[in-house]
Amino acid sequence: MYRTSRLALAASRGAVRVVRRRLTTEPPSAAPLPPKKKRHVVRNILLSTTVLVGTFYVGSTFFAFKNEAYYQFFSERVPLGYSMLEYAEDNQWETMTLESAINSATQRFTSAQRYVTDKISGATPTVQDAKQAVKNTRDSTVKAIQDSKDRATSAAARIRTEIKKDASGANAILRDQSEQFSRGVDDLIREAQAALAKGVDVAKLPISPEVAAAPSPTDDTTVYNAPLPVGFELPPGYSRPKPAKKPQAAPTEETTARLLRLSPALSSITSSEPIIAHLAGTIDELTAYVEANPAATAKAASVLETAKSDLTALATRIDKVREDERAELEAKLDDQTREYTVKLMELEMEAQDRLDGQEQEFRRFFDEERGKLTQAYREKLENELQTQTELINERLKEEVIAQGIELQRRWIREIKVRVEEERGGRLAKIDELSANLKRLERVALDNSTYLDENIRIHALWSALRALSTSALASPVRKSFREELRVLRHVAAAREDPVAAAALESLEGSDVPDVGVEPFADLATWFAREVAPKVSHVALVPDQNAGLLSHLASRAFAGLRFKRHGLVSGDDVLSVLARAEYYLNEKDLDSAARELNQLGGTAKLLLHDWLEAARRRLEVQQALEVVQAQATLASLLVV
Amino acid sequence: MSTTPKPPSSEDILGQKYDRCLADFLVKAGVGFSAGVVLSVVLFKRRTWPIALSTGFGAGIAYADCDRSFNPARIPGTRIVSQLSNAEGK
Repeated sequence: MYRTSRLALAASRGAVRVVRRRLTTEPPSAAPLPPKKKRHVVRNILLSTTVLVGTFYVGSTFFAFKNEAYYQFFSERVPLGYSMLEYAEDNQWETMTLESAINSATQRFTSAQRYVTDKISGATPTVQDAKQAVKNTRDSTVKAIQDSKDRATSAAARIRTEIKKDASGANAILRDQSEQFSRGVDDLIREAQAALAKGVDVAKLPISPEVAAAPSPTDDTTVYNAPLPVGFELPPGYSRPKPAKKPQAAPTEETTARLLRLSPALSSITSSEPIIAHLAGTIDELTAYVEANPAATAKAASVLETAKSDLTALATRIDKVREDERAELEAKLDDQTREYTVKLMELEMEAQDRLDGQEQEFRRFFDEERGKLTQAYREKLENELQTQTELINERLKEEVIAQGIELQRRWIREIKVRVEEERGGRLAKIDELSANLKRLERVALDNSTYLDENIRIHALWSALRALSTSALASPVRKSFREELRVLRHVAAAREDPVAAAALESLEGSDVPDVGVEPFADLATWFAREVAPKVSHVALVPDQNAGLLSHLASRAFAGLRFKRHGLVSGDDVLSVLARAEYYLNEKDLDSAARELNQLGGTAKLLLHDWLEAARRRLEVQQALEVVQAQATLASLLVV
Repeated sequence: MSTTPKPPSSEDILGQKYDRCLADFLVKAGVGFSAGVVLSVVLFKRRTWPIALSTGFGAGIAYADCDRSFNPARIPGTRIVSQLSNAEGK
């Protein structure tokens, strides 16, 4: 926007320059009105198209940043659109806000204002410039006020947003406060606007005299607007309209060469006052004319002199008046600018104070609210923390208990394991010791068993000898129960199953009570009693042997020859002879075996003897077994 | 009779039997003779044959008894089977 205005300004400036050049190049007599109209049309068209195009491009650029679809369209369809957008992106237009634009505009404007004030102080102010300057100052004041207003509103909005942000969800008091504040800001704005209106009014007031003063120099000389005929000049006191002012400067330059010219002397004024220049020109022309007509020189010289002095006086007077005016105007302007700046400052200060006050109030209130909220939240937090801590403590307690139990269990297990290990170690030592002890024990036991065994064998032998002495070798038949008991106990102590069995079978019978016949007795018994009586029944048949057969056997047995020695034959006499032989050989066993073969009546007769012999043989056999065992044991021991 | 203290020794069984048979014979023969004498005197007018007969009866009875004592298996009207006797003999 600013650019467009500047462009327009530049364009207008250029146009003015062009017009000026044309005015200078063309002769003053040429009719200026028709081309002026034409030029205006072209200028207007150019201006308007330029403005429109500029507005379109700049607006399109800004709109393109807001609208994506339009951005596409603008960059693709519109010629130079893409480069425009690139330029805008390079200058970061998309981030440009109204405020920044205004800021930059104000900056530019303040620079422009400085330029204008420089111009004013530079002693070349025209009424137009003054007007322009006044307008500019007014604009600047307006803009400044507007800016301050904008700033105030933006500050208010910012504060409002800040408040909203900080205490969003705050109570109604805060909202009321903010509303109050916004109302205050609104009041401020309204005040500022009123002040602005006043300022504008005040600004207008001094402008009007200036505007009235501006045409005053032109009003002094009557303006001749009608077209002049060719070769005719305006009468003195009349002047052409304003645009035709400048061209008169050129002809004056030409006339200054010949006589004492007025233009160079008044050149300082003529440059600013074309009318004076024009007058000086006419006077110079007159002088030229007088010079051309020497006759009239004398007459005209005095008139010319007076005219010249009058003109210079007028010029000086005008200068002075202008100076005064300018001084006055400058003073007024200065006053006004000071006044407005003071007012502006006051307003700004006031607004700032108010804002500060309200901000402080709000801050205080915000602090209070924050304190309250923090208090409430802290209380809540403390409650929460307390409950949480309670819960956590409870849980922790439970966990601690559980862990304690677990640890206890683990400790117990560990202790058990360690105790087991230690016990294992000690047990291993104890085992070793016990093994040693056992070895010792075994050695001792072996020794003791050895000794015991020896003693036992010795006892066994003693008992055995005693038994054999009492049972077999005794000359008379007698009971040997006591000896057998001793022997049996000794044998039972040795846990000899064979001997024990033999002795038990022996003890079970009544043999030990009655004793056994000595071998001598048995032999005698056989030889004296049994053998003759058996030989008497030697011929008795085994079956159905009656009295007669017995008697016959008895009768014929005496007739037979007695046999002796180891004779063969199954008859009773042979058997008897063999038995006798064996008995003579002290072989009771064989004798008993031989006799046991007999049957019939002979067996009946032999029964008692055989019984006795068998008993003796049983005892003998048992004793032999025991003796063999004892021998074996003694052999094993040794 | 011998050194053995027990009275009935096995080798003396036969002698005892003989002794008893003799005693029995004497008694029975004497009883028969006596009865024959009485009978001959009382009934048969001092004839001799009743005396011999009764003595014979007595002697016969004695013999039968003696024989039975030697061979108890010999019972009149019965006969011992040889198999059994063989088994016993064995």
